[in-house]
Amino acid sequence: MLLWLFFKPAKAFDVLSNARPTANAVFFGLVVWLVAIPPVLAYIGGSNFGWRLGADEPLFLAQDVLVKISIGYFMALLFGFVSSAVIAKWMAATYGARLSLGIHYALMTIVGAPLVVGSIIHLYPHVFINIMVLVPALIWSMYLLYKGLPIVLRISPERGMLMASSLIAYLLVAAVSLLGVTVALWGRGFGPAVGI
Amino acid sequence: MSAKNENPKSEFYHDRVVTALVMLAIVWAVLGMAAGVYVAAELVWPTLDFGEPWLSFGRLRTVHTNVVIFGFGVSALMGTAFYSVQRTCHVPLFLPRLAWFVCIAWQIILLLGGLSLLAGITSGKEYAELEWPFDIAIALVWVCFGIIFFGTIAQRKIKPIYVSNWFYGGLIIVITMIHVVNSLAMPATLFKSYSLFAGAQDAILQWWYGHNAVGFLLTGGFLGMMYYFLPKQAERPIWSYRLSIIAFWAFTYSYIWAGPHHLHYSAIPEWVQSLAVVMSLILLAPSWATMINGIMTVSGAWQKLRTDPALKFIVLSLAFYGLATFEGPMMAIKSVNVVSHFTDWTIGHVHSGALGWNALITFGTFYFLVPRLVGRELYSVRLANIHFWLALAGTMLYVLAMWGAGVSQGLLWLSLDEFGELRYSFRDIMASMPPYYLLRLVAGLIFLSGAILMTFNLFKTISGARTIQVRPPAVRGAGASV
Repeated sequence: MLLWLFFKPAKAFDVLSNARPTANAVFFGLVVWLVAIPPVLAYIGGSNFGWRLGADEPLFLAQDVLVKISIGYFMALLFGFVSSAVIAKWMAATYGARLSLGIHYALMTIVGAPLVVGSIIHLYPHVFINIMVLVPALIWSMYLLYKGLPIVLRISPERGMLMASSLIAYLLVAAVSLLGVTVALWGRGFGPAVGI
Repeated sequence: MSAKNENPKSEFYHDRVVTALVMLAIVWAVLGMAAGVYVAAELVWPTLDFGEPWLSFGRLRTVHTNVVIFGFGVSALMGTAFYSVQRTCHVPLFLPRLAWFVCIAWQIILLLGGLSLLAGITSGKEYAELEWPFDIAIALVWVCFGIIFFGTIAQRKIKPIYVSNWFYGGLIIVITMIHVVNSLAMPATLFKSYSLFAGAQDAILQWWYGHNAVGFLLTGGFLGMMYYFLPKQAERPIWSYRLSIIAFWAFTYSYIWAGPHHLHYSAIPEWVQSLAVVMSLILLAPSWATMINGIMTVSGAWQKLRTDPALKFIVLSLAFYGLATFEGPMMAIKSVNVVSHFTDWTIGHVHSGALGWNALITFGTFYFLVPRLVGRELYSVRLANIHFWLALAGTMLYVLAMWGAGVSQGLLWLSLDEFGELRYSFRDIMASMPPYYLLRLVAGLIFLSGAILMTFNLFKTISGARTIQVRPPAVRGAGASV
């Protein structure tokens, strides 16, 4: 299924459009494990190589701080995933789309999959290189969202376009919230030592 | 394309000035964005200024901001305000010759003002760099703009004043007020003046101006555009008219206080900073009420997307409006601002609004408006669709590059070593930035190429055509709906 997303996304969407997954099955069978991958990779990368922000020396964090940050990253991704699926379900009523939470979980899993695959670059935690890998992954995710949403939720492409754009608004806000919460935590002494 | 029930006794709407302003806005858009791309390239390759002062980053950057905001943005706002106020009031423009004066005088101010900035003549106030002779001219033109706009409203045949006019009216009144007060200065020579205000007061006043220029011009003015053109394109009324009016007053009341959040941790009083934070957070409510109103209006008009390339620009602009109006209050919180201030995150934030909201909604409006002004089909729907994806890709790439650069800078500025000293010098940090700036340059080029496609498309649409003449419709009853 994962390979289809990269080579034959339409096939993956067709299969999903006829499926009736339950929310619990998708969540515990797939989501929790996929969402754990980026924090685990980030932990391994951060503890072995340190974060490179562009300056000469990599930034090494203490093990306990790194563990806390990785758990926080996991919780943030999990919250982002669940909230996106719930918001998509909430929007579905407006756009006449399928209302089962399971199908929205499955759709969000597909949309997020390229980012999970791209997160392999967390093993080498250089901020710019991570951006260079994650930006194409993000573009592929957005393509999957616009392309897959109307097929999976069985609505017209035009309504799919509107719903996907509305979801993009939420996803952008969620992304920038993650940045905001992160830097606010730095100021509270959680994470790297900063002179605030 | 004229209305079937038009009033044969009325004179025609004055739309030629609208066409002129729209086409001039497009020219300014390309010039301003090209200047932006050039200064972005200078941040990667500093020698691109070739040692010429007029090509230096400091001068070209102000040309970029002035041309995109006041050339592209204001010309578009004037044009769409003139177009929509006639149609929402069912009367031709008040003093049409004055409207031509406003159009031409504004272009002359921009042209000469742009040259003065290239020559290094500046008051040093951000977004208000033009020197005192230009400030007086701007105030005069803006008052004339107000006379035409409110004069048209005073003659209206429809009793209620439609919500787009409240926003355009707010734009005219508030910009006049903040421009005049912030520009009060003592001239020393023809091209040099000194502000009447000093120190922290000058700073507070400058950001009262700066933030409300963002608020009432880049937000309020363009909301006026959205409230007229979105329902027109969707062929549906606003989802909740009552919500739009409540949001207008909440927006107007809370925006005006938010400016000092640009001055956190500075010499201004602590309570002024805190008040700005609170008002910035409150501002989220009317901003999102407006976004939801727009999205819900368009949600029932999905069939229009099959034939109308313009509508998707407006839908996406609302998504970026949602992002920018959330990000702004978040960055106003002091514990976030302490990291984000003086970093490229701020530049990214500005551009998520400027590219994602202002430019996209204007592009969508122009794709709708230009064919109707000349009574022709759009030259190429395909080019417009390509433009949509270029605009989306350019904006996303820009924002992500600046998020990466900004957060890295914020962390590195503040990093301490084991002795409690700052770990990195400014120079070291900036030396690591070119990859992000290269990415931003690519993003700018993608966005600019989309704007050039639009220019070609719209000029081909309009080429050889004349603005069609439309009369106001006959109005039945004084309280007829808009």
